Amino acid sequence: MIRQPISGSWRAGLGLASILLVMLLYTALASSRQRTARREQQEVAQTRLSELEEQRVDLQRDLETARAETDQTSRERGVEQAESGLQRNAEETEKFEALRDQPTKVDRTVPSWSMLLQDGLIRACTPQGAFERKEIWLVEDFKATGLRLLTSLLVGILCSVVIGLLMGCLDPVDAFLMPPFTFFSKVPATAVLPIFFVVIQINFSMYVAIIVFGMLPSLAQAISASVRKDVPEELIFKAYTLGASQFELIADVIFKKVLPRILDAARLQIGPALVLLVAAEWMVAGEGIGYRLRLFYQRTDMTVVFVYVFLLGVIGLVVDYALIWARRKLCPWFGE
Amino acid sequence: MNADSSSPAKQPSPTAENGQPDIVLECQQVSHWFGDNKVLNNVNLRIARGQIVALVGPSGSGKSTLLRAILGTHPPKSGQVVMDGAPYRKPHRDRGIVYQRYSLFPFLTAEENVAFGPMLDQTSIPFRVFQFPKWRAQRADQLRQAGELLDQVGLGHAKRKYPSELSGGMCQRVAIAQALIMRPKLLLLDEPFGALDESTRESLQLMLLHLYQENIDARAKHQPEPHTILIVTHELNEALYVSDRILGLSQYHQGGSEGATIVYDKPAPIFQPHEERDHVRFNQQKEMLLKSVFSDEFIQHHSEFVSFWSEVASERQQLSH
Repeated sequence: MIRQPISGSWRAGLGLASILLVMLLYTALASSRQRTARREQQEVAQTRLSELEEQRVDLQRDLETARAETDQTSRERGVEQAESGLQRNAEETEKFEALRDQPTKVDRTVPSWSMLLQDGLIRACTPQGAFERKEIWLVEDFKATGLRLLTSLLVGILCSVVIGLLMGCLDPVDAFLMPPFTFFSKVPATAVLPIFFVVIQINFSMYVAIIVFGMLPSLAQAISASVRKDVPEELIFKAYTLGASQFELIADVIFKKVLPRILDAARLQIGPALVLLVAAEWMVAGEGIGYRLRLFYQRTDMTVVFVYVFLLGVIGLVVDYALIWARRKLCPWFGE
Repeated sequence: MNADSSSPAKQPSPTAENGQPDIVLECQQVSHWFGDNKVLNNVNLRIARGQIVALVGPSGSGKSTLLRAILGTHPPKSGQVVMDGAPYRKPHRDRGIVYQRYSLFPFLTAEENVAFGPMLDQTSIPFRVFQFPKWRAQRADQLRQAGELLDQVGLGHAKRKYPSELSGGMCQRVAIAQALIMRPKLLLLDEPFGALDESTRESLQLMLLHLYQENIDARAKHQPEPHTILIVTHELNEALYVSDRILGLSQYHQGGSEGATIVYDKPAPIFQPHEERDHVRFNQQKEMLLKSVFSDEFIQHHSEFVSFWSEVASERQQLSH
């Protein structure tokens, strides 16, 4: 009933059931897509077969007409022509009959599990490429995107912490930065992408700039709000009576008090940062996750796409838990 | 009128070696107001070294405002506060504070909380970063001192615990240790036991009596008294029990529309830590306090019950005869 707690095994069971349900739904969708693809192929084959049948009847008639020809030369030519026509017709009929009985078409929009493994995961994990330079897509793409993401998160969080603390502690800084930050935090960062593409040009620092632009205003505001809300003035006065300097007050009291909030706020910014990065890569990159997704989208081949999506989810989970773990280690006093 | 029934030997003697009062803190014509709301009006107050002064008053009388002015975080709008002869308008390591809430830094263990003051006071961030080995040695020393102090207040077992793992009473003990390790010239306690249950409260009051005992011992050895304390409380029994002097701040006096001022200033009975609480000794003074400080029907001139320093002077004369 409402807010009635359930046992741990119930909880685990229900969680597992929902995962199984998702997998089941996917399997059903994939197999229905495959069935549809095969049926369409059978229908096409059937249509072609009836055309071929009509053609065969015509050719048979032509053969008989040719055999009845009096002139020997034209009779031989007519018979030969009709016979080779029938020959081709028979071959083609055989081919389409095979297709009708055992359709070969596969659908790549919702691939089956075996295709995901074979054409998705295994293809992405083995060196690919027609030329000398063979590369493993998964490694290359995740390396490129990961480097961009890590660098920008580092720069973005560092800048946000410094600016957020200053905004929270010093009213002039807050008064000066609040208007642009409030405005820019409302601008959807994806809308600003073209400006970055043109102004900075497409290079590594552009991706960093985009993500920093996307996270700085809201993260700095969140940190500043936390400084104002979560640090009671008593603690500040107390630190003064213990002989703290201004800088010690910020570094040893305020920063430590809001550190768990900073880690939580930063954790919430990783998702949006990844959205921005994949979007930017999708549009302009020559390597990276977004780039690979675009390539396969253009081929309407979702095998690799699904593998990438799954891996992105896994990485998101891992990073999330890593940050929660870091908060527990760094701020054991904070509790859950 | 002498409310103090204890023997002259236990009588507070706020005097330095030369016989003159050794004044630590002085409020001179301190007034404060918020817009049209006049809170403090010409508060004059002197506190001598070694005194444990209780400040009582009805709610809204400006006790906290006066405390903040004395602490230095909210300087008065007119008048000045002077410590050891020097006026000030900022908080300083010479004035310690224990608040009712948010007394401890939640991200530090009990031990680190107590050692936090020495760290901030004796070292700087550049020192801690660039002379790390030296800092490590100094830190170990500070933590050891903090641990000893925690042992003294009976919290040796809780050194490594965070404030969130401690009870309210334990937190206040740590907070007092945190303030005492700085050896402040004046320790301010702002309703320090207000949120505690009765028995915890009593054990902490006892702790203050022990501090007063240290003062008496120091006086006997002709050393400067280590603790000067101003405690703000709304509990009259607590005020009478732990202090050697009671101040009443109230707006209920002639001219009270201009703000509150000191309307009561008399010695309080002195108890030794092992003594029983004698409520009979409280009652006479308690009634006088209730009338002069807390009653809005009894309006008198503000100096009528302010006689601490004249009583001290006459006491000294009697002794010298």
